[in-house]
Amino acid sequence: MNATLAPTVVKEREEAVDPVYLRVRDLVYQTCGIYHSDEKLYLLVAACKRRMTGGGAKATNAREYLDLLRNLAYRDAETRALLNEITIGETCLFRSMPQVNALKNVILPELTAERAKIGLKKLKLWSAGCSTGEEPYTWAMFLLEQQATLLRGWTFEIQATDLNDRSVETAKAGVYGDYALRNTPEEYKRKYFTAEEGTKLKVKDEVKARITFQRLNLNDNSRMVFMKGMDLIFCCNVLIYFDMVSKKRVVQHFYSNLMPSGCFLLGRAESLYQVNDQFRLVHLPGTTVYRKPGPEAAKTGKP
Amino acid sequence: MSPGLRDGLRKRVEKLRTLPSSPAVLKPLLELLRLDPEHLDLKKVVELVSYDKTIAAQCMRIANSPLYGRARATESIQAAIVALGIQRVEDILLTCCLHKFSSGGKWATDPEVYWRHSLGCAAVCRELAERIDFRDTEKAYLAGLLHDLGILVNSLAYTEEYKGVIARARERGVPLAEQEMSDLGFTHAESGSILGATWQLPQAVIEVIALHHDVERAPAGNPLVALVHIGDLLCRCRGLGYGYEEWRSVELVSDPAWEQLKKFAPRLESMDLARFTMDLDAFFPKVQQLVDAVFSPKTEHSTVEVSY
Repeated sequence: MNATLAPTVVKEREEAVDPVYLRVRDLVYQTCGIYHSDEKLYLLVAACKRRMTGGGAKATNAREYLDLLRNLAYRDAETRALLNEITIGETCLFRSMPQVNALKNVILPELTAERAKIGLKKLKLWSAGCSTGEEPYTWAMFLLEQQATLLRGWTFEIQATDLNDRSVETAKAGVYGDYALRNTPEEYKRKYFTAEEGTKLKVKDEVKARITFQRLNLNDNSRMVFMKGMDLIFCCNVLIYFDMVSKKRVVQHFYSNLMPSGCFLLGRAESLYQVNDQFRLVHLPGTTVYRKPGPEAAKTGKP
Repeated sequence: MSPGLRDGLRKRVEKLRTLPSSPAVLKPLLELLRLDPEHLDLKKVVELVSYDKTIAAQCMRIANSPLYGRARATESIQAAIVALGIQRVEDILLTCCLHKFSSGGKWATDPEVYWRHSLGCAAVCRELAERIDFRDTEKAYLAGLLHDLGILVNSLAYTEEYKGVIARARERGVPLAEQEMSDLGFTHAESGSILGATWQLPQAVIEVIALHHDVERAPAGNPLVALVHIGDLLCRCRGLGYGYEEWRSVELVSDPAWEQLKKFAPRLESMDLARFTMDLDAFFPKVQQLVDAVFSPKTEHSTVEVSY
């Protein structure tokens, strides 16, 4: 990388970062597909340091930590532990406002125009790896709001799946505290939640009714083939835990399960580079998504 | 554009030339730029930079901004030039000239927005050029810096009308060129290319100014048009655009510019575009610091005594 673009300066603190962390960054990117730009590098450094100071990892500096990530005996476990540190606290409702705005102002208008051409007035979404339900509830509330305007006369359904039984049960309950609700706009809180004990809020049944929660293993090919006809698939911070072979297979399923022009949305720092080259990377204000080519492109064979 | 409209536009642009703030060093500088690198003379560059006190001071501030990777303050023009290399100094000098030129008139838009976009695009074009092994990275920078010269022209020559154009584009969330076409009957690409020709900019750069929104008409031998088109789009998608969000999706690999550029830089095919995009976010705060350096003389480096 060019010198003007590769500063070893951490934002805010202006403290030099051990260049070894740049190699940790590349390693994490190659194995997990999650990338920390220079601006976000401090997050990765902090996660590594938490692993070291918390006593979880047997390393005292960046160099030793990198060795640990490369050591056959520790590699898998340590990578998983590090990923947990990296993604910690990322789960909340309305996690990514650029994504919400892109959906509202670009993706939905484009998608509905496309679907209306073939007389379809229904949208299908899938939250793959929905964890404790924050993501599917966000989109359910968002789409309910859109039914007053853009989606007037449209219906939608949301599939929400996770490997973990306990997460699925928590998701079904739909009770959230301040931390999970920190990004949720007030009007949404008033409209779509009821008060629970303390400051906790519970998602109303009318929102829950739009979502089907179920346990699903993304590696289960026989069940993956039945998740067809999706318009939007969300899969945030899930693929990072897969090895390249399974990642490719799972993403291929997502691709097949999407309708033409359907979109695949990943976490903020995730990329599909060298995982799948059929999806097209689409730039939107402040965010990117992957799109399955539409009928036009399929017809002409031109990208 | 109708011949009548073009004539009117040309007349207005010619009037701009007589603005008192038109920098005297611009012409000799552009002549210098056209020389082979081996014929470039350090003394001559220092002379040009030193010609104008304001420009010299601004040069120092820019040279010391993080975008140019300076770890510690450079205290003389000569030292700055040696440290940065002559090519970079020319970028800086040209930036200063344009700023000086543009600061004399009334603005229809926020000049900071224009500079963020122009400098951001310049830096993104150079970085993209480097990553795909495109041969002429400095030309890429220059073309990126100047591609929206027409916004400057429209802003100065049609101040009142242009305010309305920008307001309507912002309200609708559409590309500026689209709104210009429907309101004025021409775009900043056309007005910019007229000024570019008046300034006798290199032909390849004039083509970039004229065709960066109309890549399919670009001459086959000038990949800079496609490169700047892509750099421009990337900036506009990541918050370094015209000061408002354009609500549309951009699929770069399906853009005609992508195919054009690939012919000149096959490495584009295998470039990690997702990672490049994320890197840009880290890079934009530095563009902001550079813009601050150009705009606010009261930065920390402004106290540095300029010595020649």
